Amino acid sequence: MLKKVDKSSALFVVAAVVFFWIGGLLTTVAPPMLDKSWAKPAPALKDYATLAKEGDAHAAQVMEGRAIYVAEGCWYCHTQQTRTIEADTIRSGWRDVPSPVSTPDEFVYDQPHMFGTRRVGPDLSRVGGKYDAQWHATHFRDPRSLVPGSAMPPFPWIANDPQKLDALIAYIQSLGRSKDWRPEHDYEE
Amino acid sequence: MSIASTANPPRVGAAVEPAAHEDRTAFSFLLVAGLFFVVSGLVAIIIAAKLQMPTLLGNVSWLTYGRLRPIHTNGMLFGWLLAADMGLCYYLVPRLCGVKLWSEKLGLATLALWIVIILGAVVTLAMGMNQGLEYAELPLWLDVLVTLAWVMFGVNIFGTIATRKYTQMYVSLWYIMAAILWTAFVYIVGNFGTLFTSGVNQANLNWFYVHNAVGLIFTPLGLALGYYYIPKAAETPLYSHRLSMIGFWSLAFVYVWTGAHHMLHGPISQWLQTVAILFSVMLMIPVWTLVWNFLATMKGQWHQLQDNVPIKFLMAGTVFYLLTCFQGPMHSLRTVNAIVSKTDWIVGHAHMAVLGAFSFFAVAGAYYSVPRMLGTRLHSQKMANASFWLWLIGGLSFFVSLWIGGFLQGLQWNDPSIPFIDTVKFMAPFWTVRLLGGTLMFVGILLFFWNLLMTYTGRHERPAVS
Repeated sequence: MLKKVDKSSALFVVAAVVFFWIGGLLTTVAPPMLDKSWAKPAPALKDYATLAKEGDAHAAQVMEGRAIYVAEGCWYCHTQQTRTIEADTIRSGWRDVPSPVSTPDEFVYDQPHMFGTRRVGPDLSRVGGKYDAQWHATHFRDPRSLVPGSAMPPFPWIANDPQKLDALIAYIQSLGRSKDWRPEHDYEE
Repeated sequence: MSIASTANPPRVGAAVEPAAHEDRTAFSFLLVAGLFFVVSGLVAIIIAAKLQMPTLLGNVSWLTYGRLRPIHTNGMLFGWLLAADMGLCYYLVPRLCGVKLWSEKLGLATLALWIVIILGAVVTLAMGMNQGLEYAELPLWLDVLVTLAWVMFGVNIFGTIATRKYTQMYVSLWYIMAAILWTAFVYIVGNFGTLFTSGVNQANLNWFYVHNAVGLIFTPLGLALGYYYIPKAAETPLYSHRLSMIGFWSLAFVYVWTGAHHMLHGPISQWLQTVAILFSVMLMIPVWTLVWNFLATMKGQWHQLQDNVPIKFLMAGTVFYLLTCFQGPMHSLRTVNAIVSKTDWIVGHAHMAVLGAFSFFAVAGAYYSVPRMLGTRLHSQKMANASFWLWLIGGLSFFVSLWIGGFLQGLQWNDPSIPFIDTVKFMAPFWTVRLLGGTLMFVGILLFFWNLLMTYTGRHERPAVS
């Protein structure tokens, strides 16, 4: 069999494609069909894109902020996933309460997804409501003024544009809010 | 283990009269790839420095880390490595088939389109037009052009193979044909399939693409080069045809399953993570058979490492390939992953694969083939040798510093009593060594490009010794 494949390019093409598609289909098309949790939104998860289309001003702001987060490549240095690792839940936690781990239902409307692969800066999956708007405004203007030694660059063209700044902060404050796990709902607005 | 003589790259003077090759497409592709190598290397140094000096180059939006990083990754992957691999395919496929390239005109048109794509990518990424998916940042119209260019490349290569005079197809041809087909699927899933999905489902397609961009595009093309240039440059037969068959078909089956290992411990089904881990470990089968084959081919030829520059690159590349493909399965084990994932260790690993292994194969091919394309000798063997040592020393200091720093940082992350910012400051000395290593590699890139350029401009003064 393999000897024939060696001499006929047509036979080779068929074999190479079949070998590829066995794993190809079973790892791309099959998983969302087998695990329905990927597509089922968490009860408190907000579909900001649809809300924005329906005229919700805050949702529109969140979507605008998200677009800035995507365009500026924030996701190259910040992940958005509290993994099933104890230290992750503590680092994502708040006032000694560890956060729940991230689950697929929290990300159903994320397009593009912002899970990330690299943590030059801290994970942001539960950052919403931890710092107030003034803190974020100062931080975007000059990260090192609040966090000495930070590797994050200043973003003056966002910090000096009130609309962009408010949008980006609105997005950051929305992160990880579909699970209400903090004692006494201790969130900044 | 039998060695079939037909399993070797056909030699000039075989039963079939060799065709006269024009190699215009092949050479032009390599020269353009070399230029993009220089540009992407410069961007690399800037962003490496920015980790410690975030305001380097001022507060200009299009010169920030977040805008330059995708220019570096896309520039290296598509501007340099894929273009160089394509250029070398245009060289070796006609030779393995005993015919001329199907169409030089189509080849040059493909190159023109490729240049448009890369320039378009630089401009759109600098403007912040980023789709937000790793390696799939480019806007849709550029994705369409990439697909078109890939079809043009595929038509030319398959057209050449269809009209071949040697019936038996050498291993390199299998890898090239497979790479063309698999790349088409992988690219479409990663750049078009992601448009219609969101959340974890989209992430799964994204990692399928990211992993297979390396595994089913750069791996088969790089290995095709290894299979062709090791026997050619060392002037010795390939050790085993049977091993190359085992290596190829096991890679074809195993590689595609592993994408989800990028989401280990993350919000994705546990069973899918386990499947990805199992297949990641199985990857050692194709890798070790191939490395065995490459190293055994060198049996009795190791003295050539002393002064044969392409062989130096090919053997160092083989060792880097073995190492990077040993790291991969190890990273996918949950316990190891909990330490190294999301750290700079992975950055060191990724650079060893793309730069250490596959770029070394491509550079060996360029040093070996460019003089033959132009009917001349290489401008300077000394300069080529210097580029090897710059890349080897620069590369090793880059990889090793990121492994040590990344591993220790991973341990620190697992101790939540250490504030995150302290783990960032901790990386400073490792980032400095990485920057120095990167600078050495950049000098190597400059020497490489200059050598190609001078080989071209001085081609009439140094006729090839036949």
